[in-house]
Amino acid sequence: VTKERSADEVAAATLACLPRMTAARLRAVLARFEGPVGALRAIGSGCLEDEVCETSAATRRMWQAHAAAGTARRRIDERGTQVWIEGAADYPIVDAVPDLAPVLLGEGRRPEAFEAPRVAIVGTRAATPHGLADARELGGFLAAEQITVVSGLAIGIDGAAHEGALDAGGLVVGVVATGLDITYPRRHTVLYERVRANGVIVSEQAFGVGPRPGLFPVRNRIIAALADVVVVVEATMRGGARITAQYALEYGRPVLAVPGSRRNPSAAGTNALIADGAHPLVDWSDVVLAMGMTPARTRSTPDRRATPSAGGRALLDALGGESANPDQLASRTGRTPEQIAIVIVELERAGWIERAQGAVWPR
Amino acid sequence: VLASVISATLLGVDGQVVTVEVHIASGLPGYHVVGLPDTAVRESRERVRAAVQSSQLKWPPTRITVNLAPSAIRKAGAGLDLAVGVGVLLASDELPPDVLDGVAVLGELGLDGTVRHVPGTLALVDAVSRAGCSTVIVPPADAAEAALVPGVTVRVARDLAELRACLKGESAWPDPPAEPCDEHPDEPFDEPLDLGEVRGLTWARRALEAAAAGGHHLLLAGPPGVGKTMLARRLATIMPSLTDVEALDVTRVHSAAGRASAGLVRRPPFRSPHHTASVAALVGGGSGRPNPGEVTLAHHGILFLDELGEFPPRALDALRQPLEERAVWIARQPITLCFPADFVLVACTNPCPCGLGPPACVCGEAARARYRRRLSAPLLDRFDLRLSVGPPEPADQAGESSTSVRRRVDAAVARQRARLSGTPWRRNAHVPAGALERLLPLSAEATDALRGETEARLLTGRGAARIRRVARTLADLDDATEISTGHVVLAALLREDVP
Repeated sequence: VTKERSADEVAAATLACLPRMTAARLRAVLARFEGPVGALRAIGSGCLEDEVCETSAATRRMWQAHAAAGTARRRIDERGTQVWIEGAADYPIVDAVPDLAPVLLGEGRRPEAFEAPRVAIVGTRAATPHGLADARELGGFLAAEQITVVSGLAIGIDGAAHEGALDAGGLVVGVVATGLDITYPRRHTVLYERVRANGVIVSEQAFGVGPRPGLFPVRNRIIAALADVVVVVEATMRGGARITAQYALEYGRPVLAVPGSRRNPSAAGTNALIADGAHPLVDWSDVVLAMGMTPARTRSTPDRRATPSAGGRALLDALGGESANPDQLASRTGRTPEQIAIVIVELERAGWIERAQGAVWPR
Repeated sequence: VLASVISATLLGVDGQVVTVEVHIASGLPGYHVVGLPDTAVRESRERVRAAVQSSQLKWPPTRITVNLAPSAIRKAGAGLDLAVGVGVLLASDELPPDVLDGVAVLGELGLDGTVRHVPGTLALVDAVSRAGCSTVIVPPADAAEAALVPGVTVRVARDLAELRACLKGESAWPDPPAEPCDEHPDEPFDEPLDLGEVRGLTWARRALEAAAAGGHHLLLAGPPGVGKTMLARRLATIMPSLTDVEALDVTRVHSAAGRASAGLVRRPPFRSPHHTASVAALVGGGSGRPNPGEVTLAHHGILFLDELGEFPPRALDALRQPLEERAVWIARQPITLCFPADFVLVACTNPCPCGLGPPACVCGEAARARYRRRLSAPLLDRFDLRLSVGPPEPADQAGESSTSVRRRVDAAVARQRARLSGTPWRRNAHVPAGALERLLPLSAEATDALRGETEARLLTGRGAARIRRVARTLADLDDATEISTGHVVLAALLREDVP
């Protein structure tokens, strides 16, 4: 379903796939030769001056060979890769954002995901069951609002957000830090396929680039730039999600953060964002309001769970909204393990709690 | 000029009767041992000769051939020395030919003729007694242990010269040394432990109780410092005392493993090997003569593996057979040895690499998954009881004392003994799936609860069977005839997916 590729797009993809190419170099080269076609021709004929983007002679020779070989063209033809060039009409980021990727590569069967309003959901990989549930729920909510969910396809919050949106039939954009032909993490293979089928996977990296620690924060700026609003669900103090939030603030995107318990280290980052002025996200429809839209749906649907028994209520009270292990529940309620076991099973079946990581979590 | 003396050698933890034949023939003076002796047995020549000469007895200046029958089995250790020495005296007519009819001889000889301790006396005496010997001659140190075998007259040999005099009837047999005490003094810990010192941890305590009563393997997961190890070590204090048969079994194994003991081991052994232990150290084996491993030393007791995830995967997977069969078979040409290994496995592990567990854990999902993979699913499946232990609450009170818990455990064990009498099983945990319906019946209500749990947790038939056994133990601890819904549900919750 890809449209006819222009010479500019082929040249841009070839440039983006050159080894040791970075966003800054690409920008400089494009500026010097006024467009991808000219830039590629200059590199191919060895006319690239070393002061344009501070390359060594060896790199320029390598670039020259690659430009002549035309591997990137064959690659994108085979894979049906789409190419977006900054400034072109279909480039998904319309406002001026500093140091953005001049060329984005994307693969997926639903590129119209870019035509809807977009919200990024980001967070930690070490998510708690509560965080995962929030991400999944929010993804589903946004999908129902016809909003595209943008995230990073990582373990934890990212994956849960994608899954929530996909399960609700929504469109998603996954921004990855590797080449488009690499699946990382591998256990998200199925999720990658689902994102390709119901949205787009986007990268600025060349094919074959594997996961490198330095590329993830760089990728996060694209997530922030692609989104109209950034929601941080759970973030540790020093995680990539806070970097994304930082970029979002620089780019003038509203940042919302889901508040968490101060005892939860996976929520320390979101709480810090709130303390710094991010909007605390308590009701999902606030995301829609933050985009300047009116939520289509009214507030949350009525709770259809069976009313818990007296013992069940006592146990929920003992949990106090946070996770606790059975030993702690026994101490707090003063009941025997058998009595608590029966109540736990009752509440679990009714959907009031879930058990994970050896603890009981209220839902 | 031919004499034969009954003795025995250790084969694993069992005794093997050995007939020591001594032949004295004219020829150049010499001494030959045939019949697969190991180095210690071959060296007996020097010890026996020196002992005979030190005892002012005549060493026959002729050709001496010693045969150890059955000759296909490798003999180990110096425990045959005394039998060889007595055989030489018999063959050289220093002793009347019939004094050793129905008598077995055990002991190592010193160069001065004194008779020394042999490991595994209990197993050895047991073997010769089964072979028809009514009297055994043993070193003084082993007299008490030998006396544990019923129907055997124990004679003490302090040194070779005295033994010869006694055998000839020239002097009376010496009295065995006074026994220190019947109770085995080998307490596993320096300080007395008590469950009363543990605050909170109600569920974990219940699991511990079930492990002690029903013989269920227990896995505790939790952050460091919450009391996993503290709790596990106190399992020994609530284990029921060994029955007479069990006590003999345990004493036999420990004696064969060379652990000094005087009298019967009455309390269940507690073994806690370090996680650097090799496969052979854990399950037994080793080069040359196979030795019993930690699983065998924990027979009828507790095997405690702290930091389970730190053990090499090979060692852990080697545990699977003993856990299932309650015995270890070690094949060595030309025989296969069976070491008993009926123990309760108690293991502790951290929930993740950082050890903190939820909600404080900062490990990534990938790191957690990698950590989990260290414990194979088949191994985890063999734990009937698996639970996470969390930090105590500020208001937690000191718990029930070991004495009071032990009373309940003893009662539960008595109930199981009555239920399982006439079957080969001793504990609820041992009852195989095929016999569950007959031995551990469920009421209609409890069946419903079990079916509900099975469906809700997508359990396999094996998982459901394990829950059923634990539920029966919980009911036994409550002194209940019927398994209630609460027992089933608690049993299911005590089998979490940890770590």
